[in-house]
Amino acid sequence: MIKESYRQEEESELVKASQSGDKQAFSKIVKRYQGMVARTVKGMLGDSVFAEDIGQEVFIKLFYSLSEFRGESKLSTYIQKIAVNLTLNEIKRRKRFFSMFSQKGNNEMYEFDVPDHDNEERKDAAELVNKALISMDTKFRIIVTMRMLQGYSTKETAEILNLPLGTVLSRLSRAQAQLKGILEKL
Amino acid sequence: MKAEEIKELLIRSLDENADAGEAARRLEEEGAVFSFSKGFTDKILERLYTSGSAASKELEFLRNLNSAFYRIALTGVAAIVILLISIFLMEGSFSFNSFLGMSDSYDESIIYLLTGN
Repeated sequence: MIKESYRQEEESELVKASQSGDKQAFSKIVKRYQGMVARTVKGMLGDSVFAEDIGQEVFIKLFYSLSEFRGESKLSTYIQKIAVNLTLNEIKRRKRFFSMFSQKGNNEMYEFDVPDHDNEERKDAAELVNKALISMDTKFRIIVTMRMLQGYSTKETAEILNLPLGTVLSRLSRAQAQLKGILEKL
Repeated sequence: MKAEEIKELLIRSLDENADAGEAARRLEEEGAVFSFSKGFTDKILERLYTSGSAASKELEFLRNLNSAFYRIALTGVAAIVILLISIFLMEGSFSFNSFLGMSDSYDESIIYLLTGN
């Protein structure tokens, strides 16, 4: 489900219970938001085992920072921000590593395994989206992931990425131009 | 949906006024689904709640470090206060010389102390 929305009171109860050590409550949070985190992390890093590790790190970090969550924003926004930060850090780390040890191009940094689909058309769609995303510049890819995979509005995207709305709109337009170019070659 | 239609959908989803939520739903319907492997939740819970796991050891270490830091900080503050009181009692002021323990020394005697002449 895209853009999950839950009652604020129910979420604050889950957060409080998790803070007091309720395993079931935290398990509910993970189950509820793992799809959203997967879209962000796998959209940005490709569908690989590394993305799975970063996904786990997102929830581990959430667990330790729950005491700092004041409920001023939605829990989903808070988790999304953690996911974006950890994913961008991983991309920076990979760039540093590849610039030191490899002459390979940008796309070699990412791996993706297209999930098994019984239907060939569905497999094509997943592959197309993966290939298009990993070919994009990081600053455009994050905007496209938020918009195309998560279905966020430009305002929500600006809030999550902590960017001015004007910057998001200009990057969105440049991302669209880049995506057109990439898709023509695919 | 054919590849060309999907491409068109991808491009249109980035229009400023497009309903991004609707485009994302359609993409998901077409198979662009991103999910973690089975047992993802269990792996996280195991890392967090199993005693002796790396995460719980890390948490315990941080808690111990925190309490040790507070004790060291409090002891340090107490030592500084005692030092200041003793300096004031012995020297009668908080001047720079009294901190160096030289409040009663004349310039000549310092030169004598330093050079021996």
